[in-house]
Amino acid sequence: MKKLLQSAFFTEIIKALKLVFSHYFVKEVTLQYPHEKNTLPDTHRGALCLLRYESGEERCVGCDLCNAACPSYCITVVSAVEEKDHIQRRYATSFDIDMTKCVFCGFCVEACPVNALGMTKMYEYSTSNKRELDFNKANLYEIGETWYGQAKGYLIAHNQEGEDETVSEYRYRFPSSRKEEEVEV
Amino acid sequence: MSSVGKQSAAPDAVKNMVEITIDGKVVTAEEGSSLFNAVKWTGVELPAMCYHYSFSPFGSCGLCLVEVEGKKNNVRACTAKVVEGMVVSTGTEKMVEARKGAVEKHLTTHPLDCPVCDKDGQCELQDMAYDLEVYDIKDPKRKDIPEDTRSIVLDFNMERCILCCFYKKDKQKHVGAHGGETLYCEFCGDCLAVCPVGAIVSKFSKYTFKPWQLKKTETTCGFCSDGCTITLETNDRDIQVVTSELSYTSKFGYEVDPGEGHGGICVRGRFGFEYVMSSDRLSKPLAKGENGFQPIAWFSSLMEIGKRLNDIKSTYGPQSIAGLISGRCTNESVYLFQRLMRSVLNTNNIDTAARYGHMNSVHVLQKTLKIGKATVTAEQLALSDAILMVGSNLTETNPITALRPKASMTEFGGQLFVADTTKTKILNLATHPLHIALDSEADFIQALVKAVINKEAADPDFIETYPEAYAALKASVGPLSETALSEKTGLEWEKIEETAETLAKSKRGILLWGEGIIAKPDAVDHILRLIDLALLCGLLRKKGGGILPICEENNEQGAVDMGGVPEFLPGQLDYNSPSERDRFSNIWHTTLPTPGTDAPGLTLPEMIEAAHRGEIKALYLVGENPLGTLPASMKVREALEKVDLIICQDPFLTETGQMADYVLPSAVFAENEGTYTNTLGQVNRVVEAFDPRGEARPDWKVFTDLSKHLGHPMQYRSVEEIHNEIAKMIPGYYQSEAATPKPDAYLESEFIGHIAGRYTPSESRTPSETTRLSLEPVLYHSGKLTTRDQGLMKIYNKAVLLISEPDADALGGLITGDPVHIKSDLGQLETTVEISPDLPKGLVQFPLHFNDPPMKDLLKTEIDSRTKVITFKTGPVTLMRPASLDLRVVSKETTPETHENQEADAQGKEEKPS
Repeated sequence: MKKLLQSAFFTEIIKALKLVFSHYFVKEVTLQYPHEKNTLPDTHRGALCLLRYESGEERCVGCDLCNAACPSYCITVVSAVEEKDHIQRRYATSFDIDMTKCVFCGFCVEACPVNALGMTKMYEYSTSNKRELDFNKANLYEIGETWYGQAKGYLIAHNQEGEDETVSEYRYRFPSSRKEEEVEV
Repeated sequence: MSSVGKQSAAPDAVKNMVEITIDGKVVTAEEGSSLFNAVKWTGVELPAMCYHYSFSPFGSCGLCLVEVEGKKNNVRACTAKVVEGMVVSTGTEKMVEARKGAVEKHLTTHPLDCPVCDKDGQCELQDMAYDLEVYDIKDPKRKDIPEDTRSIVLDFNMERCILCCFYKKDKQKHVGAHGGETLYCEFCGDCLAVCPVGAIVSKFSKYTFKPWQLKKTETTCGFCSDGCTITLETNDRDIQVVTSELSYTSKFGYEVDPGEGHGGICVRGRFGFEYVMSSDRLSKPLAKGENGFQPIAWFSSLMEIGKRLNDIKSTYGPQSIAGLISGRCTNESVYLFQRLMRSVLNTNNIDTAARYGHMNSVHVLQKTLKIGKATVTAEQLALSDAILMVGSNLTETNPITALRPKASMTEFGGQLFVADTTKTKILNLATHPLHIALDSEADFIQALVKAVINKEAADPDFIETYPEAYAALKASVGPLSETALSEKTGLEWEKIEETAETLAKSKRGILLWGEGIIAKPDAVDHILRLIDLALLCGLLRKKGGGILPICEENNEQGAVDMGGVPEFLPGQLDYNSPSERDRFSNIWHTTLPTPGTDAPGLTLPEMIEAAHRGEIKALYLVGENPLGTLPASMKVREALEKVDLIICQDPFLTETGQMADYVLPSAVFAENEGTYTNTLGQVNRVVEAFDPRGEARPDWKVFTDLSKHLGHPMQYRSVEEIHNEIAKMIPGYYQSEAATPKPDAYLESEFIGHIAGRYTPSESRTPSETTRLSLEPVLYHSGKLTTRDQGLMKIYNKAVLLISEPDADALGGLITGDPVHIKSDLGQLETTVEISPDLPKGLVQFPLHFNDPPMKDLLKTEIDSRTKVITFKTGPVTLMRPASLDLRVVSKETTPETHENQEADAQGKEEKPS
């Protein structure tokens, strides 16, 4: 009897319409990407980048610890010695990250002893040429310069770095090299 | 240093064993030995940084702490001596805390720059901090010591140094050269290997690697005939570091007797790796066309070579083809090359670099003792109680073998007699330096034989077994005058007698000779007499004693063993024996050229002569560079010009390669697989670290490929197959079986007939007033190969003439750096001099590795009629003071009033840059 009445008055349809029309008054969820974009948290793990100190000096010392920490073997570092102002420094002659292999775990950033690596919120680097996804040193510094604030935010959010003054704590001081002319016995 | 920790000295020393308790276990240990070792043998691993198996403990790091009952303070196990009834506990909480404290103390002054440090990942301090869980370091300090980067090879970062090698009382807090000067040493780099932290780093690989990036390949060094085991640490196709056993043997679970050697390597092995990566390496086969060399594909090059060789063979006969192979190729390559020459090309004209000297030793040894190599091992050399070295600058030519005689002196109280015309390093170190006069090697050896007989110290066994030989020898040395001999050698007769007697009465005496004998004229006579001396002293019969002929290149011995010479089939079997030839022809399914007048088997000098006559139409050179090695007087260039087809297979484009029709790039030792046989006759494995550069191929591969184009394919798919064939044909070769001398036949027949003329007073070959030029090897180089190495050239690049002080004075007071004209019948050159206090008057030396200026061209060659060995490393020259030098002196002294000679001044500046 109840069933018959329900079908006679189309209660199901009214219920359904009620639900549909009620959604006219709900705040929308779908974002119209690429016209609209989501706000990402500081801890978002997007494209990797390399950072410089305020002075413009490269932070990376080419220690290869990021490679050692990388679970997907996507980082290659080649290091060499460079002499400037009687100080022999270690630096990376080449630094490559194969983004096709990267799993965005963030271990490399955690492993970096000088906070040279950072993660940005940048994720729009799709390309039709796979080779472009092999980021080299120049690419990585470019990303680092463009998205410096985000990378810095990531490091701060992960308690790896505080504001600017704490950066110098992690900076290596290479000893000055003693040359022939400065012999002191 | 005290000898607390080292295992006790001489093999006959008695050890006093006592019982001690370690962690409740009762163990026996040698009384007075280091407690650290005793603990180690129970399986307990005590942390330690300053302890190293290769030197005596001195207890500076304070980590190996243990508790000893009855002692209030913690005891450092390394310096503590084992005493009867000791009760030791190692793992108590108190000890762990104490060790933790010690590590913390080291870390407070350590810079913690691990990520950039080259030792990161293999650092002992790092490991210990992890093991003991030391993570918090209270108030760290920086030492602020500048890095010492003045030396050409090593950098010293004293911030990282934990001062493990200093006693507390030491005031000096720096590691480096004495007095804070720039370090210039032998640069063996063993300090790099033993440094527990990254305080000493190599400039050649500073900041360029991390241990986890590197692949380790244990192989054999490709320079000298020591055949040291080295580890190549490679990254892709680049050698980053070369290390040895010394770097990796766990010092906690390992212990060596000094006789075993500590596993260190020398400067060549450790720093001479850049030539492998050199951009001068050939990368493609080259064929000479109208416009010079053109790159060509491997297949076409081998096809063309095969066709031309076949044509020459059918037109002029197989005797018009000759082959030369270097003493740097692996045994397997030499074996395959001689097979290619003999079974495919049907010629026995094949020779190796051993023809520059080592064949003298081999010939004489084969003739007299029926062996073709040394009879001692490196351990026996270290444990010997009396070693006589004649004409060998061992510390320069074979630096690692040279450690053994040194150990015999310092560790086992052995006696070392070194006879040399120059005051070499080893001569200065020897317990009995015998500085003999120039050209008196013959007299010296004769004097020794006479002294043994005079003193009646000869081996009684020898006298008993071969009474006739002894009588003949005695009669032969009879007429020699003692005073004349001692006058000629410049040694007192007592000294000669002492040497002879010690050697004759030794328990494990060893006789060693080197390039000063084999590469000089009359080498055969010298070696025959040396063998007489060895037999007379019974060295060959004594267990642990024997003879050791030193050769130059890494596989010279192996090249001879593999039949790379016309006299021998593989295994040093006589080529003239039909039955032995049959053995090989059966396995190779071919016939070997029968020796005779039409197929004599030409040696290197004979090949060059035949080429001059136009009889050689094709020459196949594997790693050999006769044009760069032999003096101009051999007229090699003219000879090569008459050869129709020259094939040069070499990693580099050599002088001879420039004249070749085809140049094939070959692999170097790091890219090769196989074995090398060292001067002691030990066979060492060579392992491929990476694929050859460019399109270079290993030698064996080229030979097999070429044989296909010659219509007689040699079917080897890998080195392993060649290896197996050698193992089958020469049983026991790879086991490095000891040679057993069989002097019976020689002593009973030939000896008696020949001995009469062997002991005659020698006639001086050159008048004593003449200056003699001698080409000598230096420590930093090996042959001409290392002059291609940028690293070693950075370390040593002094193409200077060493001259004695009296000679320099005679030329009007020359000083180091002055130019000098050097003249012989064959030409004149200008070079720079360096005064050396080690040389006797009348001798000048030039490093044989350098061809600029071409000093070798001043020398005449001499070919021994018996062994066909070419000797060219010594000869008479005249030194002249260049006229420009006098002008300079004048210009220096001229006062402003006198006439100023501007030209002279300008010249003076040119000659002597400050």
